[in-house]
Amino acid sequence: MLKVIDVHKSFVGIKALDGVSLEVERGSITGLIGPNGSGKTTLFNVISGFLPKEAGEIYLKGERIDELPPNEVAGKGLCRTFQISQAPEKMTVLENMLLAPKDQMGEGLWNAFFRKKRIMHQERHNLEKALYLLSSVELIDLSNEYAGNLSGGQKKLLALGRILMADPEIILLDEPTAGVNPTLNKSLMRLIEDLRKGGKTFFFVEHNMKVISDICDKVYVLDFGRKIAEGTPGEIQQNEEVLEAYLSGSSREWSRKVGIDT
Amino acid sequence: MIQYLAYLSIMTGIYGILSLSLNLQYGFTGLANFGHVAFFCLGAYTSTILVVLVKGPFILGLLGGMVAAGLFGFLISIPTANLKEDYWAIATLAAAEIVRLFFLNEDWIFGRGPYHGGAFGIGGIPRPLQSWFSATTYPFFYLCIVILCLVLTYFTVRFLTNSPFGRVLKAMREGDDLPLAMGKDVSKFRMKAMAFGGAMGGLAGSLVAHFWSFIDPYQFMPIETFVVWAMVVVGGKGNNIGALVGAVIIQFFYSSTLFLKDFIPIDAQVLASLRMVVIGVLIVLIMLFMKEGLIKEKKRIYQG
Repeated sequence: MLKVIDVHKSFVGIKALDGVSLEVERGSITGLIGPNGSGKTTLFNVISGFLPKEAGEIYLKGERIDELPPNEVAGKGLCRTFQISQAPEKMTVLENMLLAPKDQMGEGLWNAFFRKKRIMHQERHNLEKALYLLSSVELIDLSNEYAGNLSGGQKKLLALGRILMADPEIILLDEPTAGVNPTLNKSLMRLIEDLRKGGKTFFFVEHNMKVISDICDKVYVLDFGRKIAEGTPGEIQQNEEVLEAYLSGSSREWSRKVGIDT
Repeated sequence: MIQYLAYLSIMTGIYGILSLSLNLQYGFTGLANFGHVAFFCLGAYTSTILVVLVKGPFILGLLGGMVAAGLFGFLISIPTANLKEDYWAIATLAAAEIVRLFFLNEDWIFGRGPYHGGAFGIGGIPRPLQSWFSATTYPFFYLCIVILCLVLTYFTVRFLTNSPFGRVLKAMREGDDLPLAMGKDVSKFRMKAMAFGGAMGGLAGSLVAHFWSFIDPYQFMPIETFVVWAMVVVGGKGNNIGALVGAVIIQFFYSSTLFLKDFIPIDAQVLASLRMVVIGVLIVLIMLFMKEGLIKEKKRIYQG
């Protein structure tokens, strides 16, 4: 589904990604972990077209995407969320949802004026879908609230809902559970599993090891911009090098946080 | 007095169109367009060229002014596509001055025949259907034309901002990243907002040229842009009614010299300069105490 081959990216003097290769299988839930600053978000930005890579290749469904701008990557069926909410705050939750679908006729100026009937039909269809999805992410009561008034956790849920409106084949989630309360977290995980059964592919950055071991089929571990391990959640938790990475220096606190047994 | 009121209403209507078009660009799309007067200027000059030199009808001038200004909006959004907001604003300011300086220095468009052009300006721009009315009734007829254009502009902008197209513009107002991640080609939307808002600004320019029947480059100084900005900011950005209310308030202050000189014992010239100070103070007060303007942006409610 998604194939990353030997991708390099550096910021002034720092190698953010140093030859990362990985693969996300169709219909899988794949996790990406690593200490702070290990390059997880940079990798997401490079895959989704927000940052140019310096070397390497990225393929989506066999098609090369590493030269495309972000909107075209999204058009090919890969959507991502952001670690920090980017939701337009002066738009309501429902407006946020309705923004997402691809190929909206009413987004063309000509169509907006001259094909009102078909646009109305499309809007109605999208509205129904939005309301359905909002109830599955438990935001239905806040439909007409400004996105700016939501809590951090609720914004994460909105980001997931909005992505589902766009209906991509592969979804990249950047820390989807950070700030979401435990009960809601569980239903969120259930939702992701259900969607996977429906054919969606997930690739996500996560700090919560419990979430990782509960739903991930495969996990990749990054450290200093390099892939240091891959395997099932069980294998990762036993991996010497992973433990080493988490225990070294400032990363110690992080490993305590995610609950890796030291 | 009633004549003056008609004049004031016509100017308010024309600035109302400018205010609505800037509101589409700034209030809804978040484009800090500091060169809005360029559209006004291009509309006025294009219309004048088409009517005075080409001897076309008024309606051709009107449409031509819109097309030229729209095209200009489209063109300036190409080289500026990758500029950050503040740099983008400066670029638009410069673009507007380029347009004005072009008309200030040209001598080959209006240089021939009975016209002077350049710094001398162009007079004798025909007023549509002037022979049908007397000098006292004509302004009221022209007021009807302006009101018609204003109403059409208002409903067009309102329709657009409520459409899925407008929804993308509103999302872009708070940054490009999210719309990009949702597959929206933001630079295309920006071009469309510039072209469409530009065309409406051109309409206002065309209307003003045929009303004054004289134009010169000094009527299109950068300060005009900020008068329109004041209207949007005071009235309420992101609210079309607000943009109109702002136009009424600012136009009133702008034209108030004529009344005030009878009440306040200051030299008329000083008073004329003071009105810009008043508008400036008004903007500062609004920014400090009513960030969203007099009329807040309306929340869009969808019924399930």
